[in-house]
Amino acid sequence: MKQKFKVALAQISCQRGDKKANIQKIEAYTENARQQNADLVIFPELSLTGYVVRDELYELAEPVPGPSTAAIEKIAKQHGVYIVFGMPELSEKAQATLYNTAVLVGPKGFVGKYRKMHLPTHSVFEEKRYFRPGYQTGVFDTELGKIGLIICYDIFFPEVSRLTRLEGAQLIVCISASPAVRRVFFEILTAARAIENTAFLAYVNLVGIENGLQFWGGSRLIGPNGRALSIAKYDEEDLVIGEVDYSDIKPVEAFVPTLRDLRPELFDKIKENAEKL
Amino acid sequence: MKLTQQVLDLNWEEVKTKITRFIRDYVEKANANGIVLGLSGGVDSSTAAALSALAIGGSKVLGLMLPEKETYNPLDIKHAKLVAEKFGIKTETIDITSTLEALQKSIPIFDLKDKLSKGNLKARTRMLYLYYYANKLNLIVCGSSDKSEVMIGYFTKWGDAAADIAPLMDLYKTQVRKLARHVGVPDEIVDKPPSPMLWPGQTAEEEIGLKYEILDLVLYGLEHFMKTEQIAEELGLPKDLVEKVKKRWKAMEHKRRLPLTTKLQYRTVGFDFRIPLP
Repeated sequence: MKQKFKVALAQISCQRGDKKANIQKIEAYTENARQQNADLVIFPELSLTGYVVRDELYELAEPVPGPSTAAIEKIAKQHGVYIVFGMPELSEKAQATLYNTAVLVGPKGFVGKYRKMHLPTHSVFEEKRYFRPGYQTGVFDTELGKIGLIICYDIFFPEVSRLTRLEGAQLIVCISASPAVRRVFFEILTAARAIENTAFLAYVNLVGIENGLQFWGGSRLIGPNGRALSIAKYDEEDLVIGEVDYSDIKPVEAFVPTLRDLRPELFDKIKENAEKL
Repeated sequence: MKLTQQVLDLNWEEVKTKITRFIRDYVEKANANGIVLGLSGGVDSSTAAALSALAIGGSKVLGLMLPEKETYNPLDIKHAKLVAEKFGIKTETIDITSTLEALQKSIPIFDLKDKLSKGNLKARTRMLYLYYYANKLNLIVCGSSDKSEVMIGYFTKWGDAAADIAPLMDLYKTQVRKLARHVGVPDEIVDKPPSPMLWPGQTAEEEIGLKYEILDLVLYGLEHFMKTEQIAEELGLPKDLVEKVKKRWKAMEHKRRLPLTTKLQYRTVGFDFRIPLP
């Protein structure tokens, strides 16, 4: 397992509803990232289709693994790289039951998937209208260590990142499609999730305008002390490289030992009270 | 929540960037040749025109000046021309008096004394001209409705609010004024009392019964779930006046939507279909 490697934050805008065009873009960005020696290339939430596709989701969703993941696996194999991207997933057992899914593929093909647990359905978001929430965390063993996947609004719920960390992830990948007014929340939460878990956190946001929503970009790799190691441009497509060095975790974990001080009994209390809220 | 003018402050440079980016993106995705908008000489249309010009270049923006006899005011024309000149916008002036007269003559139940129905006819007539130019020249109609007017329904249904995009619709009137100054709309336009120009002497604030400085704070309070009692107390207003604004906001929803239908099948226009726009 590599202790030290480069991560590429591939902050793209999407051609809505055009999977072929988006796969081509994913390939071009992957090639570019690979030339800069990245071992992991991360694309935004629903980057296969664009975020605001609404009813078209029923036509665009595919099983995972499926034809589109196969296309991205091919790119990963060809370039010897891990890729995370987002897509609408169609349940294999149903015809119109969908998930908002993050997919991880690598040099040897399909690695795993994570189905978004927290589906925003307020303000401009209508995810529960289309998606069923996931029930499993997504933590996967790779040559880059254990990678935990979360999606956008999940970051407002510390439990999800916490769980991936407790399952061994030292790198949490958050793919996102966050429109402009929410920027301030994400800038704080990305750092908070990294600090409280003493983990690396790679946040990759969409850019472009979809249905009047302006996605703000600002993708970033955060170190375990909450410091941003690299930040992509706001509002524009960008590809930035950051370095993960797992040995940076130890001093922070000893300095602010949040994992040592974790109190499991509080989780029972949280459960009890959340049910009564 | 404290209801002071400060709550309406935004980063105007950022707002300008977002709106111009939105306009540019929409025009590009629609493969349109540019934008057409009504240029009245008021602050809203001047700001919409200025932002359109900043977004796609003045040469791709056409401002239609559509005066008519009854509300004709040379100062408004002067202001419209001032903005057009400053932002390099093309203009065309069409006097719509004869069209209005023909319409009035052709409507068997036309009532000269019914100010409102007659006034709305003017707004809708202007819409016809804008959409003719849009169709003929492959242009996007840019509306200039602001959030204050749209929330209280102070506009003509299918009239001045009819447009393809409404880039100012998430800004209250007093915010539009601030943005207007920021982008360089001349002060004499920003400072004059707003009027929809449906009949002579009509001013928005007199008709609504509140200055926009106050109305905007009432609406901001409602937007942020404040109770009418709280808003009234904060602003030193009678509670029933705030209640009246709240009722008006809700009662005008029909103006902001597609016509309501009754649901008969699985997937219904207005209820079910959700198809993304560019």
